[in-house]
Amino acid sequence: MRSGWTNFKRNSYVSFGTTGVMALVLFVFLGLMTLNVVANSITQSIEDKVDVSVYFKTTTAEEDILKIQKDIEALPAVSYVEYISREQAFEDFKARHAGNALIQESLAELDDNPLQASVNIKAKDSSEYAGIANYLEGTRFRALIEKINFYENEQVIARVQNISKGLRSWGMATTLLLSIIAVLVTFNTVRLTIYTQHQEIEIMRLVGGSNWHIRAPFLVEGVLYGLFASLLALAVFYPALSFISADVADKIPGAELSKYFIIHAPQTVLTVLAIGVILGVVSSTIAIRRFLRI
Amino acid sequence: MIEFKNVSSVYGDGFIALSAIDLTIEDGDFVSIVGPAGAGKSTLLRLLIKELEPSDGEVLVDGVSLANVHRADIPLLRRKIGTVFQDFKLLASKNAYENVAFALEMTGASDDQIAEDVPKVLAIVGLADKMTNFPHQMSGGEKQRLAIARALIHRPRIMLADEPTGNLDLVNSHDVLQLLKKIHSLGTTVIMVTHNRDLVNSLEKRVITMEKGKIVRDQKSGGKYVI
Repeated sequence: MRSGWTNFKRNSYVSFGTTGVMALVLFVFLGLMTLNVVANSITQSIEDKVDVSVYFKTTTAEEDILKIQKDIEALPAVSYVEYISREQAFEDFKARHAGNALIQESLAELDDNPLQASVNIKAKDSSEYAGIANYLEGTRFRALIEKINFYENEQVIARVQNISKGLRSWGMATTLLLSIIAVLVTFNTVRLTIYTQHQEIEIMRLVGGSNWHIRAPFLVEGVLYGLFASLLALAVFYPALSFISADVADKIPGAELSKYFIIHAPQTVLTVLAIGVILGVVSSTIAIRRFLRI
Repeated sequence: MIEFKNVSSVYGDGFIALSAIDLTIEDGDFVSIVGPAGAGKSTLLRLLIKELEPSDGEVLVDGVSLANVHRADIPLLRRKIGTVFQDFKLLASKNAYENVAFALEMTGASDDQIAEDVPKVLAIVGLADKMTNFPHQMSGGEKQRLAIARALIHRPRIMLADEPTGNLDLVNSHDVLQLLKKIHSLGTTVIMVTHNRDLVNSLEKRVITMEKGKIVRDQKSGGKYVI
């Protein structure tokens, strides 16, 4: 234990390099986690906004629409149905463009209300929308329906999911590649220590040092590289996160990175530490197996 | 008891270090092994602490074949056998006390035990007043005595000395030899590889002469260095 720490301390330049490379790997990994959170919150917020809007022909009688609303409410997949009458839609429209004089004037000149009545449907789960849309396509009231507005949203969701999937697999590949590099660098550092201490090791063997006593310092050395790299990566990550968090929250509503990673701090820290230590142990073990003769 | 049964040792490059050696060394013997460089003397010692595996034949210590000593038990074997070398193999960064203590630390001994045993063994080799000296502050003879102290710390039953006086002048060589004789008189088997003719002749003990991987002469007592 003590000699592992000494090994780490003594060749501080090499230790710095090794820790740095490993920290970089862990940092990329943290970046990947962040990306995941962002992608999830984007998908989530879009899914929240998704609904199926059914627009009825202006000639449709209100009773028919209410009947359809009843039918839809009876579907098990539906969580919430809202009916917006033509008048309501007209009022909403007027209110929305209250500041626009031109629109207000044009509206005043209209004889008839041009807007359609609609029903907004929220499903319990985003995967149910396709089924609901299908149901509406096949319903006996199909003739009354002007338009079912669902398909556009579906494409947006699919696109976001695709992009995030792509980013994730590229990120994974990068992390993996960097991990291999980190293991190689750490492995070489430990090998260097083993080489520079071949005299000590030889003496340890001669005086009957147990295998564990001979190997442990180098294992500890690897673990230390992992630990310090983790701490370094985390020390860079959290400030960087709070730096970009406001920006991200601006552009992507609902993506509160700082908050997420502070709430999930224990998991994040433990995961990064675990990965760092595992990388260190793996590297040391390879070096010990290949270069430390007992 | 140490037995070599038909032991051969061939190095990776085809060099035959030992060929079909048969040798028995009884408990409490003091054996000198002499011969020209490359005769296989050091190989014999390295086989005993299982630093080398014989290519053929069997090495037994106290009736146990070293081939059956598991990897994890090699340290135990090496604690039973103390080793001393021409180049001392001391740690330059540690002082005399720490060099000996190190050997105990490696076996997981407690700090109390280390504090008790190390001064005793340093006193045996006459270094009680040099405990805080570093190797570079010591003479060759003192370094070798320190190395012997370290080899003694596990109370070994067998002491291997590979050219222990190779780097020492006459007086220091004599001191080291006296120490080895003292250790021998306490019941330890001593096997010494050496080139020092006077040393061997003054001992008048068993002398084994080796040449080209073979034992060419084995004088059981009152042996002389003859080449």
